[in-house]
Amino acid sequence: MATPDNVVAGRTAIVGLGHTAQGELPGRSAEENAVDAALLALADAGLTLDDLDGLVACKSVQGQGNDVNVGALLGVNLPYVQSLDYGTCNFSLHLAVMAIVSGMAGTVLLTYGANARSGKFDFGKPMYGADMASTAGLVHIAGRAGLALQRHKAIYGTTDEQFGMLAVGQREWAQKNPTAIFRTPMSMADYLAEPYMVDPLRRSDVTMISDGGVALVVTTAEHARQLPNPPVYISGMAEYAGVRGEHNPENLLRPWLRDSAATIWAGTGLRPADIDALYIQDPTAVWSLQMLEYYGFCGIGEGGPFLAEGHTLPGGSLPLNTHGGQLSESYTWGWMHVIEAVRQLRGQAGERQLDAPEIGMYCSSHGFVKAAVSVLSTNQSVGQ
Amino acid sequence: MTGLSPTDDPLTGPFFEAAAQGRLVVQRCNSCKALRWPPLSGCPECRSRDTAWVDVAPTGTVWSFVVYHRAFAAELRAHIPYTVLMVELDDGPYLVGRLMDGAAPVTVGARVVAAFVDANGVASVQWKIA
Repeated sequence: MATPDNVVAGRTAIVGLGHTAQGELPGRSAEENAVDAALLALADAGLTLDDLDGLVACKSVQGQGNDVNVGALLGVNLPYVQSLDYGTCNFSLHLAVMAIVSGMAGTVLLTYGANARSGKFDFGKPMYGADMASTAGLVHIAGRAGLALQRHKAIYGTTDEQFGMLAVGQREWAQKNPTAIFRTPMSMADYLAEPYMVDPLRRSDVTMISDGGVALVVTTAEHARQLPNPPVYISGMAEYAGVRGEHNPENLLRPWLRDSAATIWAGTGLRPADIDALYIQDPTAVWSLQMLEYYGFCGIGEGGPFLAEGHTLPGGSLPLNTHGGQLSESYTWGWMHVIEAVRQLRGQAGERQLDAPEIGMYCSSHGFVKAAVSVLSTNQSVGQ
Repeated sequence: MTGLSPTDDPLTGPFFEAAAQGRLVVQRCNSCKALRWPPLSGCPECRSRDTAWVDVAPTGTVWSFVVYHRAFAAELRAHIPYTVLMVELDDGPYLVGRLMDGAAPVTVGARVVAAFVDANGVASVQWKIA
């Protein structure tokens, strides 16, 4: 359902970015990674801990990094503090915007930290409690994502070469990003020569696991204009939760992504052609395929041919995950996607800088149940 | 701790008890009669918690499938490569299950029939091409 007035448009802005190195950071807890990033984000914003009145701490998949642990290490007491079980940064960003627009807080710190790589977290374990499907050996996100892709291939004729454009394209972007972990060139021939890990998915279609911390500072539009960096305004935001989960028909296709898409376009009055830089949180490349279609960047079932035309590559009309995403840059449950979107909008993306982008969009999802999307812009009037 | 078998969970155990007897069962709401899978303690259609386990036809159509070439748990290592199907049962619900070892290559839309297999003392429902 569309919101009649997009009440958040241009009222808050991202003013600070911080992240640790991404990769293997042994000996550092998830909370320590989050706090290291938080101090960098505050410095980037030209602020100190004394300027904060809110904290939204996002827990890692492993459940670390909640508000009381991060808050203790930061040494702060604040009027508005929350923990969030959902990653991807979109859910945290939305809470911060709501806190600011409601007046509960003025300047909010968002944190995320993980040490799943050096902690050797077992991603083969059932993710959501007692799991009947695991008795059949359907474990790891590649299993369910692979089922969705195999169905897409059978119904729409999507080929490996078309789908592989996502992994190959993100590697191409990552080569321009010094933070990226996977920067070795990968041609389509290299991709196709890779054996299947969980047919129809290859290793390169699935996220890496890395340690790292990421943080953002969000404040009011008025405050943002007094700070050193160009404000990147939140122009619109939407969510939709398909929390009936597997009791939804064909839930692996995640049809409820369509609902968050409808809300963001109606709320902001924008169209897909207005988006200068697109970010899709991608624990597997299947997520990118699904969201390109549901958000209307191409027709349903047309993702394969659309990707084959090269729109999402460097130089294309719809730059996608210009940092390399979770497939080539780093894990961080999608948080680095927002860092990159803001860098591009600020004009701070170095060798991979796009030509003066004005509007960025970040689409994400939590597993097989929740969708979230944000539109970001350097132009305060976008979405109003 | 294998982390892989909910056979002892009171919510899901009846499925495995029936499989040991060669029957395919799912939950049915006694109030609105909706069939549901996976098991849930109440009905998502009408909120009733009055639930029965009922037999369903052991036949269906392959909605999709994946082939594991990597084992993500030690217990699965001996099975590689193995195929997992999402089966749309003729009676409605979608069920995840293993394709029987040595079965023919599968396609989306293939007709399958349940097979009841003893896997290390645990009854399981697997599928073979009809």
